[in-house]
Amino acid sequence: MAQVEKRGGLLRKSSASKKPLKEKVVLMYDEIFMTEDPSKCSPRFWEELFLMKVNLEYLEGKLESLDGEELMKIKDNINCLFQHCIQALGEDHPIRVVNALQTLCALIRGVHQKNKSTSGFDIINMLMGFDKAELCMKNLMESLDSLLCAEGSESLKSLCLKLLLCLVTVTDNISQNTILEYVMINSIFEAILQILSHPPSRREHGYDAVVLLALLVNYRKYESVNPYIVKLSIVDDEATLNGMGLVIAQALSEYNRQYKDKEEEHQSGFFSALTNMVGSMFIADAHEKISVQTNEAILLALYEAVHLNRNFITVLAQSHPEMGLVTTPVSPAPTTPATPLGTTPPSSDDEHRLHSGKLCLIILTCIAEDQYANAFLHDDNMNFRVNLHRMPMRHRKKAADKNLPCRPLVCAVLDLMVEFIVTHMMKEFPMDLYVRCIQVVHKLLCYQKKCRVRLHYTWRELWSALINLLKFLMSNETVLLAKHNIFTLALMIVNLFNMFITYGDTFLPTPSSYDELYYEIIRMHQSFDNLYSMVLRLSTNAGQWKEAASKVTHALVNIRAIINHFNPKIESYAAVNHISQLSEEQVLEVVRANYDTLTLKLQDGLDQYERYSEQHKEAAFFKELVRSISTNVRRNLAFHTLSQEVLLKEFSTIS
Amino acid sequence: MKFSPVLLEARSLAVAMGDTVVEPAPLKPTSEPTPGPAGNNGGSLLSVITEGVGELSVIDPEVAQKACQEVLEKVKLLHGGVAISGRGSPLELVNGDGVDSEIRCLDDPPAQIREEEDEMGATVASSTAKGARRQRQNNSAKQSWLLRLFESKLFDISMAISYLYNSKEPGVQAYIGNRLFCFRDEDVDFYLPQLLNMYIHMDEDVGDAIKPYIVHRCRQSINFSLQCALLLGAYSSDMHISTQRHSRGTKLRKLILSDELKPAHRKRELPSLSPAPDTGLSPSKRTHQRSKSDATASISLSSNLKRTASNPKVENEDEPIRLAPEREFIKSLMAIGKRLATLPTKEQKTQRLISELSLLNHKLPARVWLPTAGFDHHVVRVPHTQAVVLNSKDKAPYLIYVEVLECENFDTTSVPARIPENRIRSTRSVENLPECGITHEQRAGSFSTVPNYDNDDEAWSVDDIGELQVELPEVHTNSCDNISQFSVDSITSQESKEPVFIAAGDIRRRLSEQLAHTPTAFKRDPEDPSAVALKEPWQEKVRRIREGSPYGHLPNWRLLSVIVKCGDDLRQELLAFQVLKQLQSIWEQERVPLWIKPYKILVISADSGMIEPVVNAVSIHQVKKQSQLSLLDYFLQEHGSYTTEAFLSAQRNFVQSCAGYCLVCYLLQVKDRHNGNILLDAEGHIIHIDFGFILSSSPRNLGFETSAFKLTTEFVDVMGGLDGDMFNYYKMLMLQGLIAARKHMDKVVQIVEIMQQGSQLPCFHGSSTIRNLKERFHMSMTEEQLQLLVEQMVDGSMRSITTKLYDGFQYLTNGIM
Repeated sequence: MAQVEKRGGLLRKSSASKKPLKEKVVLMYDEIFMTEDPSKCSPRFWEELFLMKVNLEYLEGKLESLDGEELMKIKDNINCLFQHCIQALGEDHPIRVVNALQTLCALIRGVHQKNKSTSGFDIINMLMGFDKAELCMKNLMESLDSLLCAEGSESLKSLCLKLLLCLVTVTDNISQNTILEYVMINSIFEAILQILSHPPSRREHGYDAVVLLALLVNYRKYESVNPYIVKLSIVDDEATLNGMGLVIAQALSEYNRQYKDKEEEHQSGFFSALTNMVGSMFIADAHEKISVQTNEAILLALYEAVHLNRNFITVLAQSHPEMGLVTTPVSPAPTTPATPLGTTPPSSDDEHRLHSGKLCLIILTCIAEDQYANAFLHDDNMNFRVNLHRMPMRHRKKAADKNLPCRPLVCAVLDLMVEFIVTHMMKEFPMDLYVRCIQVVHKLLCYQKKCRVRLHYTWRELWSALINLLKFLMSNETVLLAKHNIFTLALMIVNLFNMFITYGDTFLPTPSSYDELYYEIIRMHQSFDNLYSMVLRLSTNAGQWKEAASKVTHALVNIRAIINHFNPKIESYAAVNHISQLSEEQVLEVVRANYDTLTLKLQDGLDQYERYSEQHKEAAFFKELVRSISTNVRRNLAFHTLSQEVLLKEFSTIS
Repeated sequence: MKFSPVLLEARSLAVAMGDTVVEPAPLKPTSEPTPGPAGNNGGSLLSVITEGVGELSVIDPEVAQKACQEVLEKVKLLHGGVAISGRGSPLELVNGDGVDSEIRCLDDPPAQIREEEDEMGATVASSTAKGARRQRQNNSAKQSWLLRLFESKLFDISMAISYLYNSKEPGVQAYIGNRLFCFRDEDVDFYLPQLLNMYIHMDEDVGDAIKPYIVHRCRQSINFSLQCALLLGAYSSDMHISTQRHSRGTKLRKLILSDELKPAHRKRELPSLSPAPDTGLSPSKRTHQRSKSDATASISLSSNLKRTASNPKVENEDEPIRLAPEREFIKSLMAIGKRLATLPTKEQKTQRLISELSLLNHKLPARVWLPTAGFDHHVVRVPHTQAVVLNSKDKAPYLIYVEVLECENFDTTSVPARIPENRIRSTRSVENLPECGITHEQRAGSFSTVPNYDNDDEAWSVDDIGELQVELPEVHTNSCDNISQFSVDSITSQESKEPVFIAAGDIRRRLSEQLAHTPTAFKRDPEDPSAVALKEPWQEKVRRIREGSPYGHLPNWRLLSVIVKCGDDLRQELLAFQVLKQLQSIWEQERVPLWIKPYKILVISADSGMIEPVVNAVSIHQVKKQSQLSLLDYFLQEHGSYTTEAFLSAQRNFVQSCAGYCLVCYLLQVKDRHNGNILLDAEGHIIHIDFGFILSSSPRNLGFETSAFKLTTEFVDVMGGLDGDMFNYYKMLMLQGLIAARKHMDKVVQIVEIMQQGSQLPCFHGSSTIRNLKERFHMSMTEEQLQLLVEQMVDGSMRSITTKLYDGFQYLTNGIM
């Protein structure tokens, strides 16, 4: 039945001359598009309308086909339709409610598509009329609120959320969507929270609710006081926050699972032939993009929760029994960014990947600054196996996933950072991401130093990754300097070493790890020597990098002291013992014997950092991100909203 | 009330008096308190009595009758006095419906009693009357010994229990039932399993004698109610299902659980409660939601969730249901255990446990408590990350730490307010958050105002890392810890300051020093997650958890721990606990420096329970596995070399505890003694755990452990070898301990014997359990013979290591010496 009707609509659109059988509802729509009041000749017009199955394509198409002036002519009828929709929402019969909701979707979208250039105020006028807009929207929001909170049908609630999402994403730039001003005044925040706190509804609508909330929070975030921000920042009900965390965690782990499936599928298909970069490029096909983008919305939600709500971190830190081991730790934040970061080398043409990667690093930054989250990450009692998706590379085999050690979560974060450092040294150098990555490591070290946490971690991997990064910076000096200030990054890396050198006693796990640090520095002294001569060169000539480079020269003082102190000692040891190549153990022996004659300079501010601040530095990024999410949600919505056949069936059987 | 002059509950007597059946006996003036035999001090008399129990155990019915009548008379007399003089306490006036009476406890100063009593009286009255009628038939004044004993100061709870159990005379039983009120609560509490087992499995008269006391105590204490309900359930479980349903035990359990035994004082506190419906009828509705398990909570949450952004769940203040929250709490702990058992690996179990507990935390604080604790408190938080799964093959016992707030009285103190987890941490807020209040009010008047409980001043919060306080000596005096402004750019301020120089050697030295100072911790082993947690010194753990807890700043904050066992019958453990406790007090009384550590047991049902963990102790198995040292070397590592005081005192502790547990193992025939079941504490004591195989039961497939107790060469090495002084001391302690225990054999046997009633426990298998137990005390031996016995047992246990044969003791018990 439904299909026939649908086809009728489509046919009509494509070939009007054929005079197909018009559905009743289409006829009624046509009446609305006349300038006369349709209820004039049939008083029960509106009542009947909402008993008809909505033909969204037709309605939207019709609205789209009219230009601004034509639309203004039938403004009264549109206003009337809008009002009657809202009226119908309050009725008992679910079919009328469903139809009203769908009609509203079509109306809002149709009007917007037509009026892309016109202002938000015009649209409000077109839909509701200025004089009635306030009351109209109040009624609409109240109806939606009570529908969402009632013990009613789940599909009805779902449709309500779709309508809200439709309303929120109808413009590309959410802040230009003036109708949302009414959504700010008539808050549905509590309804969203209730959905999240109530397990059955959370399972059904959690995703939509979280995305909706994330978007609402971003409405004129920087210009005005957004009540959703205010409210989200003070939520402290654990059930609700927990629900939100679960929704995010599940969405992210689903993404991880999909990725893994793909990866495995791919590997079984091509065996070992494609264990290089090509393999990972292959994954990034068109199909994958969708899931990366849907992921952005959920990552944004996670970010907003972590950033705005001081209680959310505690929830993050609590695992939930519903989450299995497979999904890795419950705390979605620290681990899930693994995927976009660890797997995808952002190629310049892939904005979304860069976005996701950046957002993940920002989330990690927020987490690394938070004391409670840090306590959780470093908790020796909370051990997790985190399976990082390591990219297959030329020089290393894919690590066996099976016998991962079970460690505090911070080890996984550090691993991830090391992984990122190692895998993203490319021509299109993601400088911003690298800076953030090093900052995350630095913040974690600051916590460990402050709290005297001695993490049993193989720091050596981090050290060698950092040294390799320095080498990369130097070998690509000319290319990189054209685009970036590589000295900031170099300075941060050197200072990480300084942190280990001067404060190692507060957080290194064993005395021998301190020895190993020296060993690593001495072993790689060539890189530091090169770096020093480079920065010295640039700081002595009066170029634009003079100041930046000179900072690095000063930061290198201790590393150079170590190299200059131990190298002669090692050489003489070799000479005395007639050994050409010293073993690691022999070098360590020399190191241990000669600490006492080495003097280091204590540098200021090694354990200080600048706190993350969104408003001043990241506003543009988030604006762009929200725009892309909006577009994406809107695109997906078109498909979903139209396929409400199931819903109609559900209600037709009830009635 | 515990230490006040003994209050005597006179309900049964008073009612009997008010009833018609009992004919008033001739009023006989009694001189009281009856003094014991002149010149006898407590200690010697006691020994006389215990030695002479055999003679006295024939209870003269007449004496009992007389005793009973005397009590009745006194009640009557005093009650009359009260009525005439109007010497009523204020309490009586409040509670006019009850039968108020005052009675003098036989050997104690007069005490006032007030008790309102309704349905209970009738049953007791009839029984007392019945007893009285029966007693009249054999009425002779032949012996007043029993009465004199009962009235003497030496008549303690142990004797009372013994007479209650052995006497066939309803009069005596009723009398003792009343006398229970005279004992200190904690003394009677020790025998609660015995009392309840008698109540369930013995005849009606015993039951009737016990019931009033139980009911009275249930009214007073919610914890007592819980314990009773649990024990009644557990000890009824061996009955046939059809009889069980209608048994007295089940009925009493229902009565207790129905909450009809609410403490009387609550009524007084809430005088205007007229509109409240009968509270017994709808307990489910009022159940404090936070104590519910996850499954139920989701339901209750949905219905109760108020649509406010912040929803501090405040307790429903009108008359909280007494036992329901606690039972829900226990139920959720058990449910967690069941779910854990389905998971294959330790690691999965641990993770699941932690996450389950974090959910449980959402429902705390609540009107719940840990029954194993010795003080009144409310549970406020379970530090979920600290919980560990214990080693077990198929079941999943786990150990949790529980933060509680101590309180004066569990019933009257209100449940502490919830402090959110994040209280401990910083307040990070949106840049413009403070100003939002006004604008958002303007914007929408419809917003509900958010309850803010951030305003109490006592709460403390630590800011983010920037201000995080770490109470450690500041190592770098020159470091920039106190700089609050930070900028990445100011790192090398070469021009501003005099450079500070440090020696690399110092850094390296500090690192090794700091690591050397930390006590030897165990390494993390995914297969044995509990080892690390148990090795951490308790004080250290308390400090650490307190620092991380939002409730830690409160002065009445305490940390408790408990092992939750699901799928294990702890009734034998409880029996062992009682025996150990009894032996401990005997040895203390007789000044034998034997050391044992009875740990508390909560029997929840026939297949679940809780155990109070022994703190600062790890199993010898874990010690050896982690340290890879012999026990002696481990002692040397932990306590210092042979001549240090620390080592010597640890060695002495080891010997004293070894001797104590060897006797325990022998007397109770504790089997299944592997190193996983023997703990070693930080002071060198050993502690035996797991009394799953005692008395008549032993593990079937392990062959038989023929030796009297476990004494390995490793143990002997710690004691300084076979020829050392400490080893002789060890044997001497055993002998002294055995002599002391023998002297008080009845006190020990009694505990076991009563519990045998109606029990299907494997430890009572066969018919000779009690006889064998008694034989192991060797009442007929001289001290010289006992010494020989100890020598032979030690010898045999030593030899059994090499030969696995042990026969010397068999010789001995068969009379061949």
